[in-house]
Parts: sequence; structure tokens; C-alpha cells
Amino acid sequence: MKKRMMKRLLALALTGVMTGGALAGCGEAQAPAQAPADAPAAEAPAAEEKTDEEKTAEIAETVEVAAEAGIPGYTPFAESVELRIPVYDRGAEGVPDVSDNYWTKWLQENFGDQYNIKMTFVPITRSDVMTDYSLLAAGQQLPTFLMEYDFPKQAQWAADGYLVEYDLNEFAQVAPTYYQKMVDNNQLGYTQLNGKTYFALAERPYYNTNYTWVEFVRQDWLEQVGYDHIPYTNSDEWFDAMKKIQEAGLAEHPAGGQMIDGLGSDQNYGFRTYPMNEEEWAMYGDYSIVSLGWEPNKNLLRMENKKYNLGLLDPEYYMTDGETAKANFINGKSYSYAQYIPSTVSDVVESLYALNPDAKVAVHVQETEADATSGTVPALRSNNPFGMMISFSSQASEDQIKAAWMYMEWMIQEENLFNFQWGLEGEHYKLNDKNLPESVCALTDQPVEHRQGFNYNKDYWCVAIEARNAGTIEDVIAAAVPNTDHIPAETIEQFKKDIIQTYYNQVAISEKGWVPVDCMFATTIDSVGEYQETLKDLYKTYRDEIVMTGEDNFDSLYDQRAQEYADAGYQAIADERLEALKSGMSSKLGN
Amino acid sequence: MTKKNLTPEERARHKRERLSHIRRDWQLYVMLLFPVLLVVFFNYAAYPGMRLVFMDYKPARGYAGSEWVGLEMFRKVFSEKEFQKSLITSIFFNLADLAITFPMPVILALMLNELRYARFKKVSQTILYLPHFLSWPIIGSLAYIMFKPTTGLVNMALMNLGIIQKGIPFLTDKWHWAVTYLLVGVWQTMGWGTIIYLAAITGINGELYEASMIDGANRWQRMWHITLPGIRPTIVTLLIMNIGKVMGSNFERLTSFGNSQVRDYYYQLAVYIYQKGLANSQFSKATAVGVFQSLVGLLLVLLADRIAKKLGEDGLL
Repeated sequence: MKKRMMKRLLALALTGVMTGGALAGCGEAQAPAQAPADAPAAEAPAAEEKTDEEKTAEIAETVEVAAEAGIPGYTPFAESVELRIPVYDRGAEGVPDVSDNYWTKWLQENFGDQYNIKMTFVPITRSDVMTDYSLLAAGQQLPTFLMEYDFPKQAQWAADGYLVEYDLNEFAQVAPTYYQKMVDNNQLGYTQLNGKTYFALAERPYYNTNYTWVEFVRQDWLEQVGYDHIPYTNSDEWFDAMKKIQEAGLAEHPAGGQMIDGLGSDQNYGFRTYPMNEEEWAMYGDYSIVSLGWEPNKNLLRMENKKYNLGLLDPEYYMTDGETAKANFINGKSYSYAQYIPSTVSDVVESLYALNPDAKVAVHVQETEADATSGTVPALRSNNPFGMMISFSSQASEDQIKAAWMYMEWMIQEENLFNFQWGLEGEHYKLNDKNLPESVCALTDQPVEHRQGFNYNKDYWCVAIEARNAGTIEDVIAAAVPNTDHIPAETIEQFKKDIIQTYYNQVAISEKGWVPVDCMFATTIDSVGEYQETLKDLYKTYRDEIVMTGEDNFDSLYDQRAQEYADAGYQAIADERLEALKSGMSSKLGN
Repeated sequence: MTKKNLTPEERARHKRERLSHIRRDWQLYVMLLFPVLLVVFFNYAAYPGMRLVFMDYKPARGYAGSEWVGLEMFRKVFSEKEFQKSLITSIFFNLADLAITFPMPVILALMLNELRYARFKKVSQTILYLPHFLSWPIIGSLAYIMFKPTTGLVNMALMNLGIIQKGIPFLTDKWHWAVTYLLVGVWQTMGWGTIIYLAAITGINGELYEASMIDGANRWQRMWHITLPGIRPTIVTLLIMNIGKVMGSNFERLTSFGNSQVRDYYYQLAVYIYQKGLANSQFSKATAVGVFQSLVGLLLVLLADRIAKKLGEDGLL
């Protein structure tokens, strides 16, 4: 009898659990206290003839910060407030769960618990940001603040009503240090879209250089085929070196290659003519939607086509993902590999040396002079004059937004930022003879229980600043290149010297006007939202087809695909961008 | 005897019987509650949400704040070349899938049913069921490892054996891709699909086989004249249900096999919906396509059911 009763109770309990579990997501989300952002207004003032400094000064004049503003004035919320923080999930190996790890708990303990704030970390797939945010929006689960590096994405979110306007005066009272940084960095001019204030901007030191992106090459291979220097990429010398590497049997397809992912692919800054035409810069210069049909893109693809037809590119490159391309370099199948420095040194170069201790890897130092043989200049894309763009969710309550501002202000405090960026003394860093921090080991060698997130927790502290920034640029670079077990110490020292030289060379080319900032629009370009995903997908197909065609067929196929691409929406985007430029709703070339 | 003709006593007796059934089997009714609630919440409760096909829906603004645009979304969708292409490709691939994938479990079930050794039969069945439990991304990765043009295991083996000089572009040429895609689909589904048919076969009266053997019928004749007719109602039911999927599209399967060289074929409705609906946040457009798919799927099921009945079958409804 008892057994039967137990069976019944068990059946009832299981049914209850299943039903409850299935319906768990059916609850109603917390109603927002503020109205969602309006659709973009076309009649916004055209203040873009002013310089960034003038715009910043103009906005800053209207803001007054009270004496007791900031952290000293903070008190815990009477009722617990949930702060939903977006964190990029990059799918990287060897890093802890982005939403639950030692450092998220550290934040909760050191910030959240002090002010009765419950911190929830929302993973955002790095390679699919728009989809993740749109799903979160549909489920009324947007993070309290939204973070993105790309202006067009933020503009799209504003147009879709994800964002709420905020008051710079109120922000300055809650986050005076953060606000002052924005003033000091001349960023206030970028806080607005369609005349409304949506964005707060994180700091990006040395924004007009890209020294953290480093290309490593096989110096030993070059030496074996008679080169005592690293040839300029795409130059006649480079092609010669690659052919010799191939003929010597060092690599079957030394130029390697991998599938493109759309965003930021095929950057053609080196193939442009400087100074640029402003209208072309506004219409086609943006890197997020690739400019198939523009001359610089055509020249770039012609170069890729040449590499493919010479057998330098892997014939299966379009099926090779990023991880496989990395593995190919480590396994000695390709000549070069580029990535951000801490990860490249610790994950890639160290692994290569571990597999092949006789290898010699060198940093490809930035060139400063144009190359006549390839018709290219050593140009690169400037980062925006700000790091992360931060906007606030229209689904968040006033208390939640205040908590977000408090979090930003707290994170930007020197002590907090230092602890979070550098970790635990002795375990993660040590102070050198200049009393500056230096990482003691690569990220993946850190003890598992205290291991930092990707790029030394950057996806958390990017809310304040874009780089670990202690001391001079030499100190910063030295700190970003950790010593590792397998790479000889003198090689590490040479890496540091070459990356520092790269930085100074990038400053030099920036002064020549070869590091342009992409055009930014003060109005939403609706056609971008309408067509960009289709174009991204189409571009992958068209460019691979163009790269793999015979050289004789290149021009006709390129022109045909360019026309189809324009018809699929690219022309509409270019037209809308041009209209925005002409109506003063964009930044100007050179500003 | 109809309900109207029941006497008050009989009605009371029926009521008592119903109550006694509920008292006796209450655990089963409680367990039934779960699927019923699922259907209510995720099917019927979702219906009001479908009004967003008539709106330019913005998630952050909700239904109240989004603009009512009538049939504009349908007009926009149908006028898009990308939609037209994805629709045609979807229909083509689904019909091909139906033609190739549907008969395979029937044939396989007939073959399994003829196996004499029970242990071999069980082992075979288990091996055949396994692919069903692999997700499409895993199958896609395996397919790439096996079928890449120069570094794929199959091509390498064929080239090393001297059978071919150049790798077969299983996954990089459109027509080769189509065949590979469909055949891998057959491999993944056919084993699992046999379960229903094998169950139906066990319901066939064994005396029929005995009688046919006495009359001298061989294996083929027994299969053709007894087994197949015995499972015909099941085949018809499953065929009708599968015809409803002609407008469907499997996003996971497509993206696991897709690459830049076969976009013309892998760009089907599911990919269109994902790109337009989720990645571009155009939920109304995506829902319009979803509603269109469902309505056409429903019409096809009804049509197939009507035809089946006209041909003397039981049909589905």
C-alpha cells in the first residue's frame, strides 16, 4: 500500500516538475520604468561641421557636477536591483565560463554586495552579436546596458527601440570620473544620435594605432630561402619568397588562408589612393559591409586571385575556420599568423615552439613607405576615438540604469581597474623595478581556480578602457608580452622591441594620413539594417568565386558580381550614406 | 443507440463509469496534463502573437508601440528575390528528400524483418539507429572531414588507390553537394524511421505467412503480398504527414553543410528566416514566412489526405 502511494506521489511530483520546468519561461518580465527610445528623427540639428573638440566643449558646458557626486554619495538600494551585464562569449579555449567564475564573484562581492545590486552576466556570442541582442530584446531580457565597438550596430539598436535616452547631467552626478574622462578624451560629440544622447564612451588609449594586432612570420623559412628581412606583404619580393618556400618543400601552400566571416573582412586600406575622396570614403569606406565594386576592393581581390592561382593559398581555404588556420601555423603549414598579442604569444607562438623548438618566429614590423611593386601603401584602419560604446536598455528600470552608471564609475577607479586587469599579485603579476605590473605567465598558465577571462578579463573591464595601460607605451607593450615556457627569453625581448617599433611606425603612417577613421553617421542608415546580413552572406560567396576564378576571367566575373551585389542592397546603402554626408549628418574626412 | 436515446439511469451509469475511470487511472490523467499544457501554452497561447505579421514589430516597443502595416510584410517578402530563390530551393530539396528519404525506412524495415538471426538483427538495428542521436553540427563536421576535395579521407583514399586523379568536390560543387546532402540525410534518418514500420509489421497476423508458405510463396512474394499491404495504412499516414513538411526547412542541417561555394543550394527558407528575422531583427518578416510555410503545409496535408481517401485509404483525418 505504501509502495503504491509512493509511486503515485512520485508520478505527481515528476509531472509537477516537468510542467513547472516547461512553463518556467512564461513569466512576465519586469516592466520598464522608462519609455523606449523613439524612432530616429530626421530633423536633428546638423552640428557636424564642428570639430570633435568643439562639440565636446559645447555639450560639456551644459553639465555641472555637484561637489559630493560619485562614489562617496552612493548608498545601497533599499531593494535589491538586478544589474544585467553583457559579456562577450568568444568560445575561446582555456578561459573560464564568462557568466560564472572567480572574477564575476569578485565583482559581486566587491561592488554588487556593497550596494545591494545583484549582478547577472549575460553571455553575448562574439561572432553573432546582433542575433543575440535581438533574441534578448524579444524575450524582454536585454542587458541593462548594451556594449559594442561598432557604431552602426548601436545605431541599429537605437532605431529598433532597444535604447533609452539618458541625461548627461544625471550621468555626471553618478559617474563624475567616467564623465570627466569622456570630456578629457573629446568624446562627448559621439554621445548623440539624431540629436539625442544615447551613448557613453570608454577610453581607447593610442586609438590611431593598431599595435596590439601582430603578425608573426616564420623567420627560419625566410632565412632558408635566402631572405635576411621580412618582405612587404603582397610585394614582388613577398611573392618570390613564398614561391621559394613552396619550392623548398617547407610548406605546400605558405600563404595559408581561412574563410572570411563578413564583418571586418578584406580591409582594403592599403589598396586605397590617399588622400581619399570624401564621398567615396563615406559611401564605401566603412569596414563592416565589404565594398565589393569599389576599386580598392577589386585590387585586393586581384591580389588574392593571383595568390590562389599560383597555389600559394590553400585550395580549401574557404572551408578552413579560424581555429584550423591557427593550427596550420602552429603545425608549420603556413608562413604567417596574425592576432592580438597576448593570445598570439601565449596560445600560438608558444605552441609552435613547443612542437618545433628549432623554429624561429619574428614579428612583422609595420612598414612606413609605399610599395611600388604591389601598388599599395602601408595603411590601416584607425580605431574609433573611443573604446566600447555603451548604451542603456529601454527595458531597464531607472534603478537598474543608475546601478549601471555606478558600476561604470566604480570600474574606472584606478584601484578597482588595476585589481581586475592584473589579477592577484604573485599569482598573475609582479611589480617590476619601475614598480609597474608585469604578467608573470600566459593566461592559460594561470591557476584554473583564479584564471582570468579572455585577454586578461578585458571583456569585463572594457566598460572603462580598452587596454591595460600602466606606464609608457614601452611599458604597456612589455607587459602585454608575457614570458612563456617554450619561447627563448631573447626571442620574447625581440618581440617586445619589434612591437614597440611597430607602434612608432604606425604613429608615423598615421601622420601621413594613412590611418583613416571610418565615417560615422549621426543618423540611422536604415538600409544597413535591411540589407547587411544578406550582403555579408553574398559577399562570402562572390569573393571566393572571384578569388578562385582564372586570372583571365577575373575582371568580367568581378564586374558581374559587383553589379549583383549593388542590386542586392549595397547601392541603396551607398546612396543613403551619401545623402547623410551631404546633409551634414556624418563625420567629415580628416576630423 | 445515440446519446439522446439514453435513459436517465443509463446516463447516471455512464457518469459513474467515467468517474470511476478517472479515480482508477488518475496518475495517467495527471501525466497527460503535461503534454496538454505544453500544447495549450506553446501552440494555442502563441496564436495572439501571430498578429505581428501584420505589424512592423519592434521587440523593444512591444505590440502596442509597433506600427500596424496590414499585409505589407507579406507583400515585401514575396517581392524579395532572396525569398523567391530560397522558396524554390526549399521546395526542390524537400521534394527530393521526400522521394529519396521516405522509401528508405520502408525498404530497410522489410529487410530487417527478413533477417533470421535475432542477435544479428538487434545489433544491426542498434547500429542503424545511432546516426539519429548525432546532432547535425557533428554530422556536418564529420562530412567535411570525410569529403573535403583534397584533404578529405574519402578523396585521399580514392586518390591513393589510383581510382581518381583529382578530388571529387562532394561538398564544394553544387550538384555534388546536393547529392551528398540528401544521402547523408538518408543515412541519418533511415534507421530510426524503421521503428514504426517494424512495429506495424509485428501487428500482421502470422497465420497469413504460414498459409502463404503452404501455398508455396517465396520470400519476395510474402513481402510483396502480405508485409507491404499489412503496413500500407502506416505508410500512407506517414506519407501524408511528410508531405506537410515540403515547405519546411532544417536550419541546423543546412548551416552544418553550407559553405560559400554552394550558397545557391543551402540558402533555403530556414536560412532566409534566420538572416532576416533574427540577425536583422525583422521578426515580422520572419513570422510572415513562418505563417506562409505553415498554411501551405496544412493545405498540402489536407490535400494529400483527401487524395488518399479517394484512393480508398483510411487517410489521416
